[in-house]
Amino acid sequence: MARLADRQDFERYAAAVHQRWERLWAGDRWVISVGISGCSIGKGALETYRHLELMLAQEGVPATLRQVGCAGWCFAEPFVEVRAPGAPPVVYGNITTDRVPELVHALKRGEVKAELALGVRAEESFGGIQPLSQHPFLARQRRLLFADAGVVDPESIDDYIARGGYRAFLKALFEMTPEEVVAEVKASNLRGRGGAGFPAGIKWESGRRTQAWPKYVVVNSHEGEPNVFKDRRLLETNPHLVLEGLLIGCYALETPHGYNYIGGEHALAVQRFQEAVRQAYELGLLGDNILGTKFSCHVRVRTGGGAYICGEGSALMYAIMGQRGQPRTKPPRSVEEGLWKRPTVLNNTETFASVPGIVRHGGAWYASLGTEQSTGTKLVTIQGPVKRVGVAEIEMGMTLRELIFEVFGGMREGYRFKGVQTGGVSAGPLREDQLDVPIDFDSMTPLGGMLGSGGFVVFDESVCAVDFARYLTAFNRFESCSKCNPCRLGNPALVEILDRIRNGYGRPQDLDIIREGSKHIIELSLCGLGQVAPMPLLGMMKAFPEEFDAHIREKRCPANVCPISEATLLAAAGDD
Amino acid sequence: MAHHVEPAEQVDLAPLREVLASQFRPRDSQEAYELIVGACQEAQRLYGWVPPEAAQAIADHLGVTINRIYGLLTFYADFRTEPPGKHFLWLCHGAACYVMGSSRLIEVLRERYGLEDHGVSPDRELTLHVFNGCLGVCDLAPVIQVDHHTYWGRLTPDRLTAAIDALKRGDPVEETDGPAG
Ligand SMILES: Cc1cc2nc3c(=O)[nH]c(=O)nc-3n(C[C@H](O)[C@H](O)[C@H](O)COP(=O)(O)O)c2cc1C
Ligand code: SF4
Ligand code: FES
Repeated sequence: MARLADRQDFERYAAAVHQRWERLWAGDRWVISVGISGCSIGKGALETYRHLELMLAQEGVPATLRQVGCAGWCFAEPFVEVRAPGAPPVVYGNITTDRVPELVHALKRGEVKAELALGVRAEESFGGIQPLSQHPFLARQRRLLFADAGVVDPESIDDYIARGGYRAFLKALFEMTPEEVVAEVKASNLRGRGGAGFPAGIKWESGRRTQAWPKYVVVNSHEGEPNVFKDRRLLETNPHLVLEGLLIGCYALETPHGYNYIGGEHALAVQRFQEAVRQAYELGLLGDNILGTKFSCHVRVRTGGGAYICGEGSALMYAIMGQRGQPRTKPPRSVEEGLWKRPTVLNNTETFASVPGIVRHGGAWYASLGTEQSTGTKLVTIQGPVKRVGVAEIEMGMTLRELIFEVFGGMREGYRFKGVQTGGVSAGPLREDQLDVPIDFDSMTPLGGMLGSGGFVVFDESVCAVDFARYLTAFNRFESCSKCNPCRLGNPALVEILDRIRNGYGRPQDLDIIREGSKHIIELSLCGLGQVAPMPLLGMMKAFPEEFDAHIREKRCPANVCPISEATLLAAAGDD
Repeated sequence: MAHHVEPAEQVDLAPLREVLASQFRPRDSQEAYELIVGACQEAQRLYGWVPPEAAQAIADHLGVTINRIYGLLTFYADFRTEPPGKHFLWLCHGAACYVMGSSRLIEVLRERYGLEDHGVSPDRELTLHVFNGCLGVCDLAPVIQVDHHTYWGRLTPDRLTAAIDALKRGDPVEETDGPAG
């Protein structure tokens, strides 16, 4: 493949791949797509793919078998989409290898398997199957970043271009000045998706203002929190969207240096993003003098080694520089002195992925989505015993109750809702009676919760609030980089007190000691990890005070989780 | 922690050297530093851990000090500086897995198989790595990734012990992703 020389060359190429895409879907061969992603592989999608390949050949079905990314419906993996000639594509869920034969046989007979179908990609029902868009998981979603999830092959730049990809970058490159790009991002009021919600446009503007070169633009795809898996799904499912956002970022900052720092655990995300970069170089969308312009851009991928703290901005930059990833005091801020002591703009994966849409349709359009202070859509994940575990993309402002009970289907059979942990390891839980809070950057904070990166953990009555608090506090203790004392010494002290309580040796004054100690950790710690580390514990104490009380005063763990339960049982046995 | 290091088997550095020569070619010292972690990850992929000889080879290749390499190997949770056992268990202790019972699995591994986090079982059959993040397959929680490719999901302590015993015998492990729900 030759590098595209200029804009016309790109247009010709785009027209050709678009035509090929149309022909694929209008042709008289079957088109069968299997979602291959980190989570579907865990559920056997590769085996399903191989089995299908074999059976289709055996049965002589003339079919094009393709890989696509996942569509966020973890609960329905592995999924297989079947387009029979002349019929709309039908998506089938939970197609494990044992179901492949019945599926292929039905197809051969020209039937649909309504009982296995999630929906049909069409406006109207087909063969008794409802439109996919009416599936309860999707009906309330608003998909911009995930619009083509499960539709395009993530390892094909042609698929991405055929669906309108890199148009935003071309628009920026040929029709807009860097200042105009920043102005649109500012007008969109896009706030950072990595947790803190800082307006991206303002950050980009500061980055432009600093007069020092070279400058760097960095994607934060570290995603080391224990409660979220959206960024890697985005990279696995549509890596070119993130790359296009990064390219636009580099153009806006007028720099040829882009980076993506990806958590090393997310192997498939790393692999697919690297492949996307390779393809973009090959086509001339990366490299020197892109499409005959003066703009050059080079993107490097760096991976992390399993330290949560490396997601923090300054730590991440040290990590890229081959040093231990430990945060530093600010100022100077990263937009003044970041990577290699140069101005650096760092944004979350999802933030960058939102940029192409903003450039294409305008900041005002984006700002009209969501709520006034939290515009646009948000990727959210739910973990825990809900019926439909997965990644959803919703407009900001939906209530947490709608999200949990409509989109994610509510609790699985046999589980009763107790609470939902918000903001991962950086905030507290919400109870049943607090679920009508809208999902945005600001509404949950007064309740002790937080939007954070958008990972919510639903827990049921088998989970003990004290033990859960210990789990979350222990995470922060373990992941503390040990650079500053309040965090290094304070968090182990909190865990120690919690362990005392869990073992039945809690004292009434312990809760005050926790509050007092937490205050010191929050106020005196150097970075964002320590500054919020006690929040989950304080939140649990606030949401479930009776449970802390039961442990301390009655020496009893209501959920029967803590070691105290065994002690009580033994004591009771001894009484006989 | 007790430092029980096996008498080092001869490490064949040729495959590592090959990867370093083809994929790790820094243009300047800045990039050399940026490539250290990636090079160590390659070494671990090849050997299952980062042997001292490999660390030295990386230091020589990139022109950085061995101290710098060990500074990173000991900072990141993913790296192993001691040889692992025969099978590798990557146990997810993310929030979904916690809520669905990963603590009980950790307990079983400790009590029944003498496995601590980052430890090797006394019979050197198993290595355990407890992962604090999320493995990204929460629908299977609680879940363990085994030998870098298979997943045992929706585990209970009983299913875990059955699966491990089968693994040690070399038998296929039944129903690795548990009952659907
Ligand atoms: C301990 C800690 C871990 C963090 N981990 C991540 C992460 O994994 N991904 C991320 O995008 N931001 C993470 N952040 C937030 C970043 O510091 C930074 O605010 C963010 O990447 C900026 O991008 P945004 O404005 O687009 O959100 C973390 C912050 C702290 C304090
Ligand atoms: S607050 Fe904790 S993680 Fe942050 S610098 Fe201090 S010790 Fe390190
Ligand atoms: S928390 Fe274990 S797979 Fe997500």
